[in-house]
Formats: sequence, C-alpha cells, structure tokens
Amino acid sequence: MAKTCLVVDDSRVVRKVARRILESHDFIVREAGDGAEALLACQESLPDCVLLDWNMPVMNGLEFLKALRAKFGEKPPVLFCTTETEMSYVEQAIEFGAQEFIMKPFDDEILMGKFAQVGLL
Amino acid sequence: MDDLLADFLTETNESLADLDLALVKLEQTPDDSETLKLIFRLVHTIKGTCGFLGLSRLERVAHAGESVLVKIRDGALVVTPDIISTVLQGLDRIKAIVTGLATHDGVEPEGDDTALIAALEAAAEGRLSAPSPAAEATQAPAPEPSPEQAIAAAAPEEPAPAASEPAPAKEPAPVAEAPAIKPPPDAAAPEAPAVEAQIGPQTIRVGVEVLEDLMTLVSELVLTRNQLLQLSRSQEDSAFAVPLQRLSHITSDLQEGVMKTRMQPIGNAWNKLPRLVRDLAHEVDKKIELVMHGADTELDRQVLELIKDPLTHMVRNSADHGLESPAERRAAGKSETGRIMLNAYHEGGHIIIEVADDGKGLPIAAIRAKALSRGQASEAELAAMSDEQVARFIFRAGFSTARTVTAVSGRGVGMDVVKTNVERIGGTIDLKSTPGQGTTFFVKIPLTLAIVSALIVQAGGERFAIPQISVIELVRAAGSGSTSDRTESRIERINDTPVLRLRDQLLPLVSLSGLLRLKTSSTDTEAGQCIVVTQIGASLLGIIVDRVFDTEEIVVKPVAPILRHISMFSGNTILGDGSVIMILDPNGIARAQGIAGSDGHIAEGNTKDVVVAQSEQRTAMLLFRAGDRSPKAVPLSLVARLEDIERDRIEFSAGQSVMQYRGRLMPLVPMSGTLDLEKPRQAVLVFNDVDNANGRDRCMGLVVDEILDVVEEHLKVELSGDRPGLLGTAVVDGHATDVIDTAYWLTQATQDWFHTASKHGQRRILIVEDSDFFRNMLVPALSAEGYEVTAAENGVQAMRLRDSGAMFDAVVSDVEMPEMDGLELVRTLRSGGPWVGLPVIALSARAGDEEIATGREAGFTDYVGKFDRGALLASLHQCLDAALAVAA
Repeated sequence: MAKTCLVVDDSRVVRKVARRILESHDFIVREAGDGAEALLACQESLPDCVLLDWNMPVMNGLEFLKALRAKFGEKPPVLFCTTETEMSYVEQAIEFGAQEFIMKPFDDEILMGKFAQVGLL
Repeated sequence: MDDLLADFLTETNESLADLDLALVKLEQTPDDSETLKLIFRLVHTIKGTCGFLGLSRLERVAHAGESVLVKIRDGALVVTPDIISTVLQGLDRIKAIVTGLATHDGVEPEGDDTALIAALEAAAEGRLSAPSPAAEATQAPAPEPSPEQAIAAAAPEEPAPAASEPAPAKEPAPVAEAPAIKPPPDAAAPEAPAVEAQIGPQTIRVGVEVLEDLMTLVSELVLTRNQLLQLSRSQEDSAFAVPLQRLSHITSDLQEGVMKTRMQPIGNAWNKLPRLVRDLAHEVDKKIELVMHGADTELDRQVLELIKDPLTHMVRNSADHGLESPAERRAAGKSETGRIMLNAYHEGGHIIIEVADDGKGLPIAAIRAKALSRGQASEAELAAMSDEQVARFIFRAGFSTARTVTAVSGRGVGMDVVKTNVERIGGTIDLKSTPGQGTTFFVKIPLTLAIVSALIVQAGGERFAIPQISVIELVRAAGSGSTSDRTESRIERINDTPVLRLRDQLLPLVSLSGLLRLKTSSTDTEAGQCIVVTQIGASLLGIIVDRVFDTEEIVVKPVAPILRHISMFSGNTILGDGSVIMILDPNGIARAQGIAGSDGHIAEGNTKDVVVAQSEQRTAMLLFRAGDRSPKAVPLSLVARLEDIERDRIEFSAGQSVMQYRGRLMPLVPMSGTLDLEKPRQAVLVFNDVDNANGRDRCMGLVVDEILDVVEEHLKVELSGDRPGLLGTAVVDGHATDVIDTAYWLTQATQDWFHTASKHGQRRILIVEDSDFFRNMLVPALSAEGYEVTAAENGVQAMRLRDSGAMFDAVVSDVEMPEMDGLELVRTLRSGGPWVGLPVIALSARAGDEEIATGREAGFTDYVGKFDRGALLASLHQCLDAALAVAA
C-alpha cells in the first residue's frame, strides 16, 4: 500500500518540489500551508509521515510538532526541514520528537536518503 | 516557463509587496515583534525557496538580508532608518532579480551584488556607515540585447551533461542603476505608496490585455478620424477643418505611441537561440558559430510571438541540415566552424529577417528525386525547372530530404509549416541556395498586424484592399486590340486565358471581378484596366482591377466566421467613408485560380493518392497553327517564351533567317517551310537549350502562323515515325492534334546554323524511356551531340528492335517502365544475343546507393541521375571509348 506523507510548508514552491519527489516514489501526498492546517489534516486522518517546515505563519513547525506528539504520541515519524541559519532549532525539534532533519534545499537524493534512514522506504 | 518558477514568481511577488509595507511599519514601530516575525519569515521563505530553483544570486542577497533581520529579531540590533534603508535596498535588488527572472525565462540576470551584500553584512554587525551600495550594477529587468552578439558554441571536447552547463554567457547589458533611497531620518509616517514613488522605477509592468485594449481603441479612433476627414473633404471652408487637422495629427501620434508600447526588439525572439545552437552543436557533433545582427530591430510583440517558432525551426534546420561536420568542412576547404547568421532590418514598413548558413547548400538532386517520387511534379516539369524553383519544393507539405530522421529536425514539421506560419501573418518567405556555399532564407513580415498599409482598388463596382506588402507594382496595360507598339506591357489573350507581357515576361492574370463573379459594366474594357502585380511566394500574379485608389492605413478586422472558409479574403476593414470592404489575400486568390506558382501548390493525401494523381497527370499544351489548318501542339514546359516579332526584325544570314534576340543571333525556323514575309508580325515559339554542364546555351525560334490556346490534357501520344517534325498524334481539346517533335526542329536549327560537327562518327544510341517528354528532352540533347538516336518506349519495344536485327553502340534505359522495366531489360540483354556486350546506361530519378547496387548487379554499365544531362554525356563518352578500346 502506498504511504501517505503530509507536507507542511508555507511555500507553494517547496510543497510542489516535495510533492514531485514523493509522488515519484509512490507516496500519496497531502499538503498544509501552516501548522494549524497540518494539525487539522492529522485529525482528519493520520498520515504515515510528515515533512515539516519550521518557519510558518499562524503556527510554526515546533508548535505543530509539540501539539502532534501531545495528541497522537510517537506516530507518525516527522522529518524536520531547516536551513543552515536555524540549526539551533534542530536540537529543539529532535527534543520534541522529530525523527530526522533535512537541510533545504533538498532534492530527490537527499530527501529519499533521509526517508530511508527512518525506515519509510 | 516551468510552473514551479511561475509559482515562485507569484509567491515571491506577493511576499515582496507585503515586505515593503511591513518594513515601513517596522521603521515606525521598531518594537512590533509580530511585524518583525512576518518580515523575517517572508525573507526566510524567499531564501529557502530559491535554493530549490538554483537561484544562487537571489539566495545570496536574501541570505544577507535575513542575517540583518535575525540580529534585529534576537535583539542584537536596534532598528534605525539606515538599517531599514539598507534592507529595503536589498529588497529592491531582490525585486530587480525576480523581474529579470520573469523576462529571462527563469535565468537570473547577471549583476554584481558584492557592495550590497557587504552593506547588509555591515548592518548586521552593527557597523553601518551608511555607504550607498546602490551605485553598483544591477541588471535592468529587460536588458537590451546588444546589436551584435556573437556566441561561439562549439561542441565541447569532453562530453559534459548538458543540464549542468550554465546558460551561455550574455554580454553585460546596459546598466540600470537602482535609485538610491535615503528616507529622511525624521520621515513622519510615510505611506507605502510614497515609498513606491521614491523607488521610482523607470519601467512599469502593464498587463498585455491593457495594451491590446488600447490598440483596439486606437484602431477605432483611426477609423473615426478617417471618417471625419472624408466628411470634411466634401465641405470646404469648414470651421472644423483646423481642429480636425489637429485631431488627425494627435491621432497619428497616439497610434504611433501605442504601437511603440507593443514593440519589442527581435532579440527577444532570438534569446534562446545561442543556447539552442550550443546544445545542437554538441548533439550533432559540429562546430557552430551563431552571429546575430540587428537584434535591436523592433517589431510588434504579436508578430514577434508568431515568428519565434518559425525562426527557431529555421536555425535548427541550418544547424542540422545546412552545416556540414567539421571533417566535411575541412575537406571542402572551409573552416571547421560553421556559421549561422541571423540578420534583421527594417525595409519600408516591413522587417526582413535573414537566416543564413555557410554550409553545403540544398541537395537539389535529392529534392528533384523526392518531388518526383512524391508525385509533386512530373519529369517534364522538373526538367524545365531551374535549381531555384526546385529548391522551393522544400516549402511544400511533408517535404523533408534529410536522409535519416534526426532528433533535431526532420520530425515531419518542415519548412512547409514555417511557410504557412509566415504567410499567416502576411509575410513571405524565399530562399537562395548556392552549392557548397550555403543557404539563406529571407523572411519578410509586416511590423504589425493591427494596422497595415493597403492599396484600395475597385472591381465590378466594389472596393477591396490589397495589403501593400504583397504589391510589387501597378501596371496600366493596353488591351490586345491596342495598336501602339510603344506600350511596354500588354494584356494578351491566349484564347480565354489572359496573360500580361511585362518586360519580356509572361505573367498569369486573374480578373478580380471575374473571379468574384461581380457584374462588370459594359464600358469596362481591357484597354483602361489596371493590373496590380502581386508576389505569390516566389512568383508573380497580376490581378486585373477596374480602378486603383490611394493607399490607406487600414485596421484589420478578422473575417466573420461565416466567410472564413473563403481563403481569398484575409479580413475586412472600414474605410474613411464608413463602408466596410474586404481585404484580399493574393495567396488565396492564386489558389482559387489554380495558379500554383512555383511553390504555391499544395500536395495533399497519402502516397497512394499521389501515385494515382501522377498517372493522371495533366500536361499543359500550347496549341498553335502552322502550315495547314489543323492545330498543332507542343508541351508548354518545353517552350521557353512566346514572341510576337515585327517583320523588320528578321534578318537573313547565309540563307538562314535569324533575328537578334537578347543580345545574340537566334536562328528562326519556319514550321511551314517558308517565311511569309507579307505578314507584318510573326508568332515565334522560342526554345531554349541550356546545358550548364557544357556551358551551352542555345535558342531557336520556331515560326508559326498563329498561337491558339493553352490547354491541360492527359497526354497520350500515338507515335508515328513517318512524318518528319511530328512526334505523333494526340487528342487535345477533343481534336486529333499533331504533336511536334521539338528534337527535330532543334536539330534543324542547330545543324543548319551551328554546323555541329559529328564528333562521334555517328555512334548509334538507343534510348528506352516510357515518358514521352523525357524522351523528347533527351533525343535533342544527344542528337545535338552528334549521336544517331533511336527511341523505344519500353523494354519490349527495345527487344523487338534487337530481334529485328537493329544494332547500336550503346543503350540508355530508364529503370522504371511498364511492360518490361530497365532491370528486366538489361538482364535479358546480358543473358545472350547480339547486344550482350553493349554498354547499357541506366537513367533513374532515384539514384540511391541501393538502386545503383541492384542496377549494377543486373548488368547496367553505369547509373546516371535522370536530370543530369552532363553526366549522361560523360558516361556515354566513357562507355563508348571503353568499348572501342576493347574492340581494338
């Protein structure tokens, strides 16, 4: 069965890039533009994994992560996206229960490498 | 454009608009953490996203901006107007780059951001000394391509993946300086629009629809102006005259101004070509240099869009088919690097674009063969065509001569599509090809499609507009009844077909009122008629009209759907007096009239249909009378010219009647045997025997009594060998008609006049050829060389000749024939009998390697292309000499 991945990012471009990569690896992709939307999506149905941006309007990635773990426990695995200027948040994200972090910009190889590391492939 | 990039541009533009507002707000309320968060997030997102698209320049600037904002957010930096100014400058730079991205199809404009980044870094470190980084170079959003851009795009030595190659370097474009912004330190609550005003862009982006709407409005204004002018002309001393004059001028200026907003340099359409050529060079392993002249020549953006694809295709063609490989070029004594040259310039309201290569030129022989095999022309027609005419076959549907279909071109989309597209925008296309030196395509297109200059004419009481682009000249012609010999041009009638004799050239004519079935008043006579000579592809067509008015700027309106299927009209327009008139499309008229021109003919259907059409091919025959009452006929394609000469021009030299014709003496042969010197004028059929290979160019005039008509017939000649000068009889126009033997009359003149020596001791040649016309072409050629020529229609006839005891020195045989084809014939000959050792030369339109191999295997001594008369003579010479040597 194809796995579902929720892509949470406020940039349409980044969501589209992620969608292309994931769909080429047979993932079913759902999108959310910020943490609040993502949380609603998770309440609707829990995805198999989440690709999460940190800096977003309304509810940022860390806030979402906290809420997600509080509500749904250890599942689903979360891959936390970041850039080199915000490495300090990586520690926090891991602390809050993110499985892996991915540096932006990512491509197919980087993304799938991380997905493989957390056993999603 | 990639949709990812489109998304990025939309997203980023939204963010940038928000950023401007937010930054100004931040300046007023430096402690507003929400605003700061927003600003930081927006810049961060821009930076984060451009990494995905490989926009490194944008990323660097955004990154430097972000680091300032991080410091502010973390409280390490206090917001000051100077810091905000610096960040705003960073945003302006980002805007400029984003704008550049949009106009460059996703390629970042070049520019140096070091000073700006340094300023941002300094700001981040809290040591802002307020230098103005705005003085450095920023690329203008839409850079003007420099007039001459030469980009050498040689195939790289080492194979590098094309995707990783950077875009070809562009020459630095003229610099547009980002205006320095220094908001006044105590600026009290400047509104966002004020900031916009300070940034003061030199250009603004306007939606295309707005420009289109403006154009439509101006068009209407022009029409109304024309109407007003028309009205005022009828009223002298009108008080409106002066203001109207002013209105007229302003309207013209306005029209020009609006047109200017739509003008773009053609370089915009050429932008992608350097990269394309570079990639192509790599792909086909050639060295290609692309030279562009006149990239700043401007034309309407609508036309620009429409010409883009045809141009790209032509450049592709030149690179793929036109230019040779480095090795071939070296062998031909050329430099290894082939050159493709684009040249654009204005010429009288039109723009001419040349696409030239210095390659091998068009393969004329291959084109001939292909035209024949596709049934687009008969052998006789092809034989009568010049190389230039043959070259234009490439503009016909589905014509590609590339031996193999490459990935580059030859995908079924050929020059015919290019031609169609060019004609669709009212343009024309032509070419010039010189073997070994290259091919040049000439595209002539109007500067704009919205308002064109047109000639207003009248026929049958109706007025029509003919676009100026297709009008070559206007001729007032005298009717055939006119006695004036001074008239340069006359309408002549060959039975019901009017033709115009214009400076020794015969032009097909079409009467507009006749074509459109308009009523003509009885007073309209040919004598007073005007002829609009128009260009149809490469040939000319005369359109007979009753009156010619002025030229007028007309606004082109599309034809209503109900009339759209009538290809004779390209649109309609409203004249100054308010009347609606149709705009004529000369190309459509030529088609409607069945005047194909040399390249206007459109071949349709699949190969099967073509073959059928070929066997039913109609041939244009010239009917005339000579000697007796019965009409005689000759294939029109064999007649070079029809002349009507005065008696005084006939001279006599050594018992032979001659006339001075085009600077030399031409022998005149009276068909009836004697010249009737009582007649004041003589009708003469001029035959031209041109052989470039031997440098021979002879002509002969056959004097006949009267030229009757030109008819199209399926020609079936019943041969009869007993009447000298006549090939046989055919049913033409319902009557049994003698078809004359051109060969006989040519030799009459050549033997009598040129005293051709029998160089070959009367060697006997048998020609086996099923095509009457081709036989008719070959016999005089070989007779003129002094051979004794016998002709047979097919292999069976040839065998009959052999079996009846005839003997020849050589046989020249067509390959494809009914009953017994050439291969069968030569196999039979080689199997034994008296002709077993004769040289047998194959003639074929298809001289491919495979055919040649099969031919040789079957027993042909040599294989010669059908149209290559020189090669045939050389081959005969060689074969006969070899035969002599063997005999000796």
